[in-house]
Amino acid sequence: MSAIVELKGVSKTFYRGKEPVPVLENLDLQVEEGAYEALMGPSGSGKSTLLNLIAGLDKPTSGTAKVAGQDLTNMSDGELAHFRADKIGFIFQAYNLLPVLTAAENVELPLLLTKLSSSDRKTRAKTALRVVGLEDRMGHYPRQLSGGQEQRVAIARAIVNDPTILVCDEPTGDLDRKSADEILALLEKLNKEFKKTILMVTHDPAAAERAGVIRKLDKGQLQ
Amino acid sequence: MIPLAYNLRNLTVRKTTTAAAAFGLGLVVFIVASVMMLSNGVRAATKRSTDPNVAIVLRKGSNAEMESGIDEQSVGLIAATPGVAHASDGRPDAVGELVVVVLLDKVGGGFSNVQLRGVPDNAMAFRPSMKIVEGRAAQPGTDEAIVGKAIRGRFKGLDLGESFEMRKNRPIKIVGVFEDNGSSYESEIWGDTNVIRATFGRQSIVSSVRVRLESPDKFDAFKANVEANRQLNVSAQRETEWAVKQTQGTALFLSALGFVIAFFFSVGAIIGAMITMHATVAQRQREIGTLRALGFSRLQILTSFLIESVILALAGGAVGAAASLLMSLKRISMMNFQTWSELSFKFEPTPQILITALIVAAVMGILGGFFPAIRAARINPVVAMRGG
Repeated sequence: MSAIVELKGVSKTFYRGKEPVPVLENLDLQVEEGAYEALMGPSGSGKSTLLNLIAGLDKPTSGTAKVAGQDLTNMSDGELAHFRADKIGFIFQAYNLLPVLTAAENVELPLLLTKLSSSDRKTRAKTALRVVGLEDRMGHYPRQLSGGQEQRVAIARAIVNDPTILVCDEPTGDLDRKSADEILALLEKLNKEFKKTILMVTHDPAAAERAGVIRKLDKGQLQ
Repeated sequence: MIPLAYNLRNLTVRKTTTAAAAFGLGLVVFIVASVMMLSNGVRAATKRSTDPNVAIVLRKGSNAEMESGIDEQSVGLIAATPGVAHASDGRPDAVGELVVVVLLDKVGGGFSNVQLRGVPDNAMAFRPSMKIVEGRAAQPGTDEAIVGKAIRGRFKGLDLGESFEMRKNRPIKIVGVFEDNGSSYESEIWGDTNVIRATFGRQSIVSSVRVRLESPDKFDAFKANVEANRQLNVSAQRETEWAVKQTQGTALFLSALGFVIAFFFSVGAIIGAMITMHATVAQRQREIGTLRALGFSRLQILTSFLIESVILALAGGAVGAAASLLMSLKRISMMNFQTWSELSFKFEPTPQILITALIVAAVMGILGGFFPAIRAARINPVVAMRGG
């Protein structure tokens, strides 16, 4: 197995006014392809920042970040957008579906950045919704779905483009236990059956236990 | 590209704010379209009474019939110039007419100048589009007159069977009403040349001579001929070109006035659209952040919000343009600065006017949406998704 995420000496410093606030300090991380890893830690420990760096939403202040064979460190804003569209599937705590689009339209969004024809896009969106068990809710708007269903639509959106890595930021944070378990089962299925590498930030120990590896982050350092 | 449905549905979700911003933009489009229709109406009213075969001869240096004076004896000479067509009775197809203005009381208060045209007996035959719609033609050599449909009944004494005083104790009776496809003649009173000459002390004078040429290409030779005769001291113009000049000032004035008003309204409307779009961007920060995270570029976000703003403006613009079409049912009347007399005309829409009005709407949409769209494009996805 080769490393799909390789961070070397990564630091990230934010500024509150002129005062520097170091969030990640000289951090090294390797994630193998096909792994399912959970990232835990107290609030403010830098979990989300680390996830954002891996997902190409942010850039490290120093150090190097190689993800899916690409060095993100010196990429332009446009190149990073391209990288995200191509390699990353996002799953957010608050689902982040666009409320005016139907489930199918939300899932189709990432495909609008590809050269696929309209009918191919629709077929793939339908397939992704079938994988998450919501084929019969294609025409529903987010407000017509339960929280668990919304998160499943978000997962369908995350996998529709066949990304290399799924990046999940508290994917069960807003869900009841039953829905949370369904989502975790789905993530497990994506990891085992579809060989997706999954990186998940979570506060929920039950969620973390489902992952193959649990990493703990505290004060910007991996424990 | 971010799907258009995203923009359309977002606009319909926020019905009240969308409607308020669209109303402001629509109002500007309404004003712009109305002003253009009005300006076009003035031009069309004068142009409609023209014939490409007809040349108008005025005293050298005069541009309006009112300023011009030609010796009556010259009418025959001008009419006999080679290239002038002949009427069915064998006479040259030409008319020498005298134009004066009379100050008349308006029905409902106020007063205004009305153009009074002294015409020879072949004046109506010379203008085949003109017809009597009520009453009868005036008898030559009498104190009878006919009035144009546009001003009939709008001034005291200007209705069928009524009479008005051209000068003190010189009444003239309206015996007929004529129409001429909405041309500027419909804002005139026509009486007998000799009677009007005598009344106004303009013996042996006509204001203009119109001749029908055998064909439009005879004009250059005709012009050269009459202008070469120094005794005549006249200049000839194609009637079509002359007509445009007659209303140029008024049309320009209306356009300028309208556009100044439209400009100030548009500033307000653009600011309104800008506020709406800024609010939209603020409300949709998380959505924008999500789109950015999914891989949509800054340019795609910018374009999407600009498109949304343009759709908003076009929706308002379409309503404004449609409302302006209702104005074409209205006839209005104002002073033509070239003739200093009342000209009655309609708002005249054309496809070009409506297209221009919609382009104005789109431009306002772009201007109003530009800064909010830039703001949307600059949103940091990490920050946007953390809040809101």
